[in-house]
Amino acid sequence: MNYKLRRLITNWRVILLAAFIIISVIAIHPTMKQGLAIRGVLANSSASIAGIPQPKPNVQPVARERIISINNQRINDVEEYYQYLSAIPPNKSIQIITSKGAYRLITLEKFETVQLNETEEKNVTDVKQYNESINGTTQIINETITKKILVPKTKQISKGTHDIGLRVYDAPKNNIRKGLDLQGGTRILLQPEIKLTQNDISILMDNMKERLNVYGLSDIVIREAGDLSQNQYVVVEIAGATEEEIRDLLAKQGKFEAKIANKTVFRGGNDIVYVARSATEAGIDPSTGCSPSGPQWFCRFRFAITLSQGAAQRQAETTKDLAVVYDPETRRSEYLSEKLELYLDDKKVDELNIGADLKGQAVTQISISGSGAGANKQDAISNSLQNMKRLQTILITGSLPVKLNIVKTDAISPVLGEGFVNNAILMSLLAIVAVAIVIAIRYRRLLITIPIFITMLSEVIILLGVAAFIGWNIDLAAIAGILVAIGTGVDDQIVITDETLKGETATVYNWKEKVRRAFVIIMLAYLTVVVAMIPLIFAGAGLLKGFAITTIIGVTIGVFVTRPAYSAFIEVMLK
Amino acid sequence: MEEEKKGLLKTLFDIYDKKYKVLLLIPLLILILSLIQIGYQVYKTGDFAKRDVSLKGGVTLTVPFDQSVDIDKIESGIYSRFPNNDVNVRTLRSAGTIVGVIAEIDIDGNDKEEIQKLLNAVQDELGIDLSKVDYGIEVVGSSLGASFFKESLIAMAVAFLFMGLVVFIYFRTFIPSAAIILAAFSDMVFALAAMNLLGARIGTAGIAAFLMLIGYSVDTDILLTVRVLKRKEGTIMDRIISSIKTGMTETLTAIVAVTVAMLVTQSEVIRQIMLILLLGLIADIFNTWIQNVGLLRLYIERKAKKGISI
Repeated sequence: MNYKLRRLITNWRVILLAAFIIISVIAIHPTMKQGLAIRGVLANSSASIAGIPQPKPNVQPVARERIISINNQRINDVEEYYQYLSAIPPNKSIQIITSKGAYRLITLEKFETVQLNETEEKNVTDVKQYNESINGTTQIINETITKKILVPKTKQISKGTHDIGLRVYDAPKNNIRKGLDLQGGTRILLQPEIKLTQNDISILMDNMKERLNVYGLSDIVIREAGDLSQNQYVVVEIAGATEEEIRDLLAKQGKFEAKIANKTVFRGGNDIVYVARSATEAGIDPSTGCSPSGPQWFCRFRFAITLSQGAAQRQAETTKDLAVVYDPETRRSEYLSEKLELYLDDKKVDELNIGADLKGQAVTQISISGSGAGANKQDAISNSLQNMKRLQTILITGSLPVKLNIVKTDAISPVLGEGFVNNAILMSLLAIVAVAIVIAIRYRRLLITIPIFITMLSEVIILLGVAAFIGWNIDLAAIAGILVAIGTGVDDQIVITDETLKGETATVYNWKEKVRRAFVIIMLAYLTVVVAMIPLIFAGAGLLKGFAITTIIGVTIGVFVTRPAYSAFIEVMLK
Repeated sequence: MEEEKKGLLKTLFDIYDKKYKVLLLIPLLILILSLIQIGYQVYKTGDFAKRDVSLKGGVTLTVPFDQSVDIDKIESGIYSRFPNNDVNVRTLRSAGTIVGVIAEIDIDGNDKEEIQKLLNAVQDELGIDLSKVDYGIEVVGSSLGASFFKESLIAMAVAFLFMGLVVFIYFRTFIPSAAIILAAFSDMVFALAAMNLLGARIGTAGIAAFLMLIGYSVDTDILLTVRVLKRKEGTIMDRIISSIKTGMTETLTAIVAVTVAMLVTQSEVIRQIMLILLLGLIADIFNTWIQNVGLLRLYIERKAKKGISI
């Protein structure tokens, strides 16, 4: 027996299987880590101001930053987290200890602006144009007048504490990424209105990623999908976000246009050669800075961009006929009569005065500015910087090259998701046990039943290990794939057992020959499964891709790793 | 008693051994009946399967719910508010107890009003406040549903073609290869017809199941054909019997696993996959051990007449 055991553990096929199992367990990395993992940090929230970083999307699940305690109170689950935070009043300082460090957050007050029935007077400036003869020539004179108008009065009402802006979930206990149907979230299938080139589609996906990240959504999978009819799709999967949020973000095209007198002079993307992003060239405008206005603070940001020659030329053409406006106080010519208006998705986001010296000039260097508001100075600064970053992103990547139509949305509730996981585990275990029972009844030998049982389990471990290693999500379809792989695996084990143990009729063959014969049948069956799964990888927007790939990887591991080990075992133990 | 049992077994074995040509009529008849059922389904509904929302387009609403409900009443309640739509309500079960209710309806998923109407209907019928529970909602655009269905059929056809090619390349003889492919085809046709008779719906998961069936089905047929044609020991009948021993163990383990999974799972996706596999595996028993065996023996007999021995 000892001799057999030694032969078994020195058999290279058994060693290979053992190595695969060990590597898989390391990849799965089971831990007992406590706390809440941070999924995303909302822009402009208390959390992002305090410097809690947005998690990187490619970080392994167990390596995520985890919240250990808030104000020295241990936080064990999501419910406790919200319960604890809901009791904290606004403008209070709280300390959050995470696995990576300690942060001091100031809770923000939530305001709502309501319109009152009263009205108030407000000063507005208007430009009037008239002709006047000066020294015999007629000139157009612009006069800026100030008038008073009545506007409804508004009031800010406090609505309690603002959410601190962390999206959290129970800390993962291993590196297996659960698919959306197992953990809850939203999956959206988008179809571009027109067909895009490979280059355009990668710009589109970069742009979408950038935008979703800005909005504090980091657990995002954006991938391209196609089908056999040459349709193009973009699949966006976001864990722990609601459908509404994503719809809003994605439906926007992110079209940036700069207009003068309703004429487009340049657009985001190709018209812009360079966008300055270094700290010295971009940031809060030092000359205007921040200032309070009513209950809110306002800050202005500015950054320089370089236009293409074509865009600069267009700007020169448009500005050359514009009049110069005189500042009503200094009576000095300062600005042109029309402003440079910035539009995002056809909505005016800002307007900039054009310096009088730019009239008719093909200038390629322009300074873009904008503003941000907040309840306090700190808030206003970070808001402005966030707005700046967003504008820069749009200017650099251009707009989404095309409008996207939403063709399918799945909103999967996490509660059902949680139940699904436990249920799927139970189902797989019971199925494996049931198979073992049938095998036990058929062969009536533990030396056959136990190895088959172990082989099935090791196939599950290796498959999950591969999934953890390459970071692919285990969803329901993948679970079905794992079951198929194990099912065909059992079939093969039965073939090996029967071929090698076949009675005296087969004594003419040596063991090698018997195993070879078993593998002829196995390889043939393997090839038919693989070729049958290949078309599914490409069909139907890749919705069953996970299933097909899991099945292919599973049967491949089976044929090249676990099956040889099983046959080695049978050979050593039963020969 | 023992004697009687042995006698019966012997008679059965004799019939299986000698009357294989007559026995061939059984799977043939089942295949024809299945095809007739599918033909009737096409004639009646214009479609050869009952497609669910994932292949047709519409909305699936999943609500956690743990009391016993009258599904028909809820279904007709929802239907009365959507008289022009196809409504289907099912319970979500886990190990026999109800854990949720699923409502499927082919409304436009981008129409917010329609979805709200559905939520209201479900809320009223179940007597619960949906804003207090975590429900899941899945929307499939109708164009995607249709194109996905078309795609899946193409994928299935290509898969079948590839599988056939692998079989042909290995065996390099027409009848044995064709018999393997026919067995897989018969399994799938039977499973589809049985799904129709059960009134079960087929969605994207069902497509996956049919593809899995190809793999499981050919497993036993390949085993049989390799043993009968490529092995020399024993008589042909010995080789067939040894194949049955191995093959039936394979099929039985699969049937047991599939049945257990079907009973335990609370996922509609997995239940649909398992039901299709179960039906296909049952069909595989007679399609392999009667149909494929019969065709192989006919082939061998014909070759023997020409003076070629196997």
